[in-house]
Amino acid sequence: MLERFISVSSEEEALAQLNAHGEELQILAGGTDLMVQLQQSGQRTRRLLHIEKIPGLQKISYNGETGIGALCTHRQIVESTLLAHYRSLRQAAAQVGGWQTQMVGTLGGNICNASPAADTLPPLLVHDARITLVSQARGSRVVDLEKFLLGRRHTDRHHDELVSGITLSQPPERGSDIYIKVGRRSATEVAIVGLAACVALDEHRRLIEDVRLAVCSVGPVPKRLYEIENLIKGQEISDSLLDEAGEMLLELIEPIDDVRASKKYRAMVAPRVLREAITCCAQNASG
Amino acid sequence: MSLLGENLVRTDAVGKLTGEARYTVDYDGKDLLHGSLLRSPVPAGLIKAIDTTVAESLPGVRCVITAKDAPDARAGWVLREQALFARKQVRFEGEVIAAVAADTPEQAREAVAAIILDLAETQAVGDMETALAENAPLVHPEWKSYQPVSGEDYPRHGNIASELMADDDAVDVAFENADLIVEDEFTSNRQYQAYIEPKSAVGIYRDGRYTIHTGHQYPFNVRDRVAQYLDVRPSQVRVIGHSIGGGFGGKLDTGLEPYAAILSKFSGGRPVKIVNNRTEDILTCPSRENAVIKMRSALDKQGNLLGRELICHMDNGAYSGEMAFMPSVIFHLAGSVYKVGNIRVIARLVYTNTAPTGAMRGVSGVYFCAFQERHMDHIADELGVDRREYRLRNLVGNGDTLLSGQVLDDADLLRKGFEKMEEAAPWSQLNDNKKPWHGIGICAGTWITNSMPGSVQLILNEDGTVTVVTAATDNGSGAVSMGITQIVAEHFGLPADDIVVTMPDTDVAAYDGGSQGSRTTHIVGRAAGIAADELKGMIFDVASGMLEAGRDDLELVNGQVGVVGYPDSRISLGDIAMTATWTRGPLSASGSYTTAPVPYNPGCASGMLFPFFPTPTYHVHLAEVEVNPVTGNVRVVRYIVVQEVGRVINPAGVRGQIQGAVAQGIGHALYESLRIRDSRYLERSLEAYRLPLAVDMPEVEIITMEHPHALGPFGAKGVGEPAIILAPATVACAVSDAIGRPFNSIPITPEDVLEAIVGKEKQL
Ligand SMILES: Cc1cc2nc3c(=O)[nH]c(=O)nc-3n(C[C@H](O)[C@H](O)[C@H](O)COP(=O)(O)OP(=O)(O)OC[C@H]3O[C@@H](n4cnc5c(N)ncnc54)[C@H](O)[C@@H]3O)c2cc1C
Repeated sequence: MLERFISVSSEEEALAQLNAHGEELQILAGGTDLMVQLQQSGQRTRRLLHIEKIPGLQKISYNGETGIGALCTHRQIVESTLLAHYRSLRQAAAQVGGWQTQMVGTLGGNICNASPAADTLPPLLVHDARITLVSQARGSRVVDLEKFLLGRRHTDRHHDELVSGITLSQPPERGSDIYIKVGRRSATEVAIVGLAACVALDEHRRLIEDVRLAVCSVGPVPKRLYEIENLIKGQEISDSLLDEAGEMLLELIEPIDDVRASKKYRAMVAPRVLREAITCCAQNASG
Repeated sequence: MSLLGENLVRTDAVGKLTGEARYTVDYDGKDLLHGSLLRSPVPAGLIKAIDTTVAESLPGVRCVITAKDAPDARAGWVLREQALFARKQVRFEGEVIAAVAADTPEQAREAVAAIILDLAETQAVGDMETALAENAPLVHPEWKSYQPVSGEDYPRHGNIASELMADDDAVDVAFENADLIVEDEFTSNRQYQAYIEPKSAVGIYRDGRYTIHTGHQYPFNVRDRVAQYLDVRPSQVRVIGHSIGGGFGGKLDTGLEPYAAILSKFSGGRPVKIVNNRTEDILTCPSRENAVIKMRSALDKQGNLLGRELICHMDNGAYSGEMAFMPSVIFHLAGSVYKVGNIRVIARLVYTNTAPTGAMRGVSGVYFCAFQERHMDHIADELGVDRREYRLRNLVGNGDTLLSGQVLDDADLLRKGFEKMEEAAPWSQLNDNKKPWHGIGICAGTWITNSMPGSVQLILNEDGTVTVVTAATDNGSGAVSMGITQIVAEHFGLPADDIVVTMPDTDVAAYDGGSQGSRTTHIVGRAAGIAADELKGMIFDVASGMLEAGRDDLELVNGQVGVVGYPDSRISLGDIAMTATWTRGPLSASGSYTTAPVPYNPGCASGMLFPFFPTPTYHVHLAEVEVNPVTGNVRVVRYIVVQEVGRVINPAGVRGQIQGAVAQGIGHALYESLRIRDSRYLERSLEAYRLPLAVDMPEVEIITMEHPHALGPFGAKGVGEPAIILAPATVACAVSDAIGRPFNSIPITPEDVLEAIVGKEKQL
C-alpha cells in the first residue's frame, strides 16, 4: 500500500519512489505553493513525496560554473556570497512573499510550479539557467530553463524525474543585472509585472555589448525578450532607443486584466520598468 | 505611586501570546454540533422552491432550517427590515437562505451543498446611480411596511434608506454673490475591517432561553437583535463574551449568533457552533460604505467662505443596520473644523443589491474628512494661498457652533494643534526642502467620543482585591485590559494585578454600549469612578469603626486605609472587606454613566439625527509621501499626529491606537478596496484584498495634547478611533502635492498615480 505522505531522506529513495509511482505522486519541497493549491482545490487524494530533507540538494556551489541545489531556499539565495554577481536573482528571491515564505520556499519549487508570476524565473532566464533532472531509469539530463517551461504551470518534467539543480552562465564582464518587481505592497505580493535585465558594456563603456532581458506576469510563461535584445545590442543608450524598446515590448507581451491590476496598467508600467532596468544596469556597469 | 500615565502591561497579553485566551472558535465539548449556512449565490433573485429532503437524509445532519421554520419577524438596529432567512426575495450575494446543524463541520457543509435551491435571478441594483435612476427596480418593494425599532419614522423612500437635509436659503444667495466658486466631486470605496479573527458564534437553547457565546464588540446589541429575530424578550437571551480577535466596527451587529441560536433549538438544545471562513467573512462584512460627495464652495474676493453646498450619497447595501444614522455624521462634521459660512447638506443613504455596509472605525467621517481637506487644498490653490495658512484663517475656535447649534467649547485646541505641529515639522522648511516626487499634506479634524451608556459594579473581595463586573468589551484596543483596569486600580491605590475584570455577560452585568466610537475608557472609566467613590465611602464607613476614627480623618493610600498623619494606623482593604462581610454584609457599589446631551437646535435638519456631537477631540495630521515615478507606487515616508486626548491613561495604549489607526487609514488611502462588479465583490480573499504590511508603514510620530475633560475619568477622552479620521485625507493631499494633480478618489492606486504622471508627461 502506498502511503499518503512519504518522506524520503535520500535522492535514491526519491528516485525509486518516482520510478515506481511517479504518476500518482506529487513532489513536496517547501510546500508554499502546493499546500495552498491543495487547500484551494479541496484535493486530498494526491499522494505527497516529501523531498525537503534530501541532503545535498541545498547547496550553492562553484566549480567552473555556479550551481544551485533545487532545495535551496530563497533566503539562502539572498544571503549567499557565491551569488554576489547574480544580483537580479538575489533581488528576486528577496521579494518572494515575505520572510516566512523565503525561509521555506525553494528555488526548485518556484521553477517547477511554473507560475506566470514566478519571481526567480526572469533573472534565471537572463543568466541562461539550465535545469538538471534526474531519474532512476534514464540518469540525468540537462535542459535550458527556457525549454523546460512549456506553459502556464506546465513544464518538461517527466513523472519519474526530480529536478536536482540549476546552473547559471558566467556573469558577463563590465556587466550589471537587476530585477524590478511591480506590486502594490513591498512584500507578499504576486508580481504585477516582473522584469530582469543583464547589461554588459564594451571596453569603452559606451556601447551595449550584451544585453539579456526577461519578463514575468505579462503572459502565460516568463520569457526572454530576444527582439529587444537584438535591437539594443551594439547601440548606445538613448531616449529614442529606449522608447523604441518600450514600443517593441508592448508587441511582445500579453498583459491581462485580473484582480491585482488592469491590463492597461500593466501595459503602461512595463515599458517604464524596462527603461528603468536598462538605465540602471548601464549606469552600474559604467562605474 | 500613581498608575496614571504608566505603561502597564495589558492584562490579556500573556494569555493571548501563550494561547490560553479563549476565542469563540475554541468553544468545545462532547455534544457540540457544527452549523453551516446556505447563502444566496446571486445578488438579486426570487426563491421559487427550496428542497431540503436530500440534505436532511445525509449522515450526521441534525436539522435543516429555512424561513418557514423561523418566526415571521424582521429585525434591525434602527429599522426592522431584515428577516433571519430570505423567504422570497434575496437582496445580496451572501444573504442567508437556510441553515444546517450536523455532527461535523464537513457534514454540515455537505448538507448545505445538497440543498436544492430553485432561484430565479432578477435584475440587480448594483450601484447608487442605478438605484437613484427613475423607475429603478426597488431593492425593498415593501419598504413602506417596515417599522423603526423605536420612535418616529424618519425620511426614507424607495431606494433611499435614510435622508437628511439641512437647507439654508442663504446658501443660494452666497453662491449668487460669490466672486469665486470652487467645485469638486469625490468618491471613496469600501473598506473591510479585516480583523484577524473571522466571525464565529455558539448558540445553546435550554429551558426556553438562548445562551450565546461570541467574541463580540457589543454583547447587548447581540442580545437585542437575536431577541428580535427569534421573537422573544431580550431577557430570554444571554450573551457571554469571549476574547475578541479585533473588530473595528465589524462586530457591532449580529453576524452568526441568531443562526447558532435557532439551530440549537432545532437540535434538541445541543450547542451549535458556526465559524466563517475568510471568504464568507469578507462577502458579508459590514464594510465601510462607498460614497460620492459633491462639494461646492462660494468665496468672496478675499477668499472668505460665504457658503457651501454638500451632497453626499452613501451606499447602504441591501440592509441598513446602524447606517441610518450615518447621514447625520456628515451633517455634524460639515461645520466642525472650518467656518464655512451658510451651508446646505443633503445626505442620502442608498439601497443597492450589494452586501450591507456598516460601521468601521471612524465611520463616514474618514472619507468626509478626506474630501473636505482635498476641497480646502483646492480652494487654497485657486486663491494662490498657502494651504496651511488658508486652514488657519478659517479654523473654528472656542464658542463657535456646529450646524446643530451645539457650542464647541474647546475648539481653540485646533489652532494649538497647528502650533504643536509647527514645532515638530516647520511647514515652510518642509516645503523648501521638498525632494522631487515628494509631497506633503496637512489636515485638521474634529471627532467624537461616543456617548452610549455604560455601567460598572465594583466588588471589594475579602482578599483585598477588587472585581469589576461590566459588559464593556476589549476588542483588542486595551480599553479594558489597560484603561478600565488602570483607572480602577488608581482609585484604590492598588496594583493592577489586584483588579479582576469579568468577561461580558448580559445576565450578570448591566447594559453597555459596546466597544465603539472610542467610548469605553471615557464612558466606562467614568462609571467606574462613580462606583469607586461610592465603594470608597462604604470602605471608610467600615474603617472608621475599625480604627475608631472619624470618617473625614481617613485616607486611602496604596490599598490601605489609615488616619491622616498616623502612618502606623493603616489597615488593609482585605481586612476591611472581611470585617464588612461578616458584620454588615459584602461591600459592592455600582456606577453608570452616559454623556449628558448638550443643547442644540432641533430644527437644524430633517432626517434621522444623532442629536449631538459628544465630547469632541481635536486633531492635526501631517504626512510626507514619496511617489515612485516608474510604477506609481506611493510610500508614506513621514507621518505626524498631533492629537488631543484629554488625559493619557496608558502611553503605550495611546501610541498603539494612533499607530494602528494611521496604518488602517493609510490602508484605506492607498491599498485596500472592496470593489464591486455586477453587484459582487472582486476581492474575496486576503490574497486579493490588499492589506498594507508592516514594511509599508512609517513609524508614526505622535504628539499628544493633554487637556483633561471635567467628566472624563481622570480627564480622559476617546483616543482609539480618531487617528484614522485624517489619515486618508492627509495622504491624499500629500499625493496631490507630489504630482501637482488632484486625487479625489480613495483609494489612490498606483494605476491612478501613474495615469496622472503619464498625463503630465504627455503635456510636456
Ligand atoms: C504567502 C505566499 C507568498 C508567495 N509569494 C510569492 C512571490 O512573491 N513570488 C513567487 O514567485 N512566489 C511566491 N509564492 C509561491 C512560492 O512560495 C514559491 O513559488 C516557492 O519558491 C515554491 O517553493 P516550494 O519549495 O515551497 O514549492 P512546493 O510548494 O513544495 O512545490 C511547488 C511545485 O513544484 C514541484 N516541485 C518542487 N520541488 C521540486 C523538485 N525538486 N523537483 C520536481 N518538482 C518539484 C512540486 O511538486 C509543486 O508542483 C508565495 C507563496 C506564499 C504561500
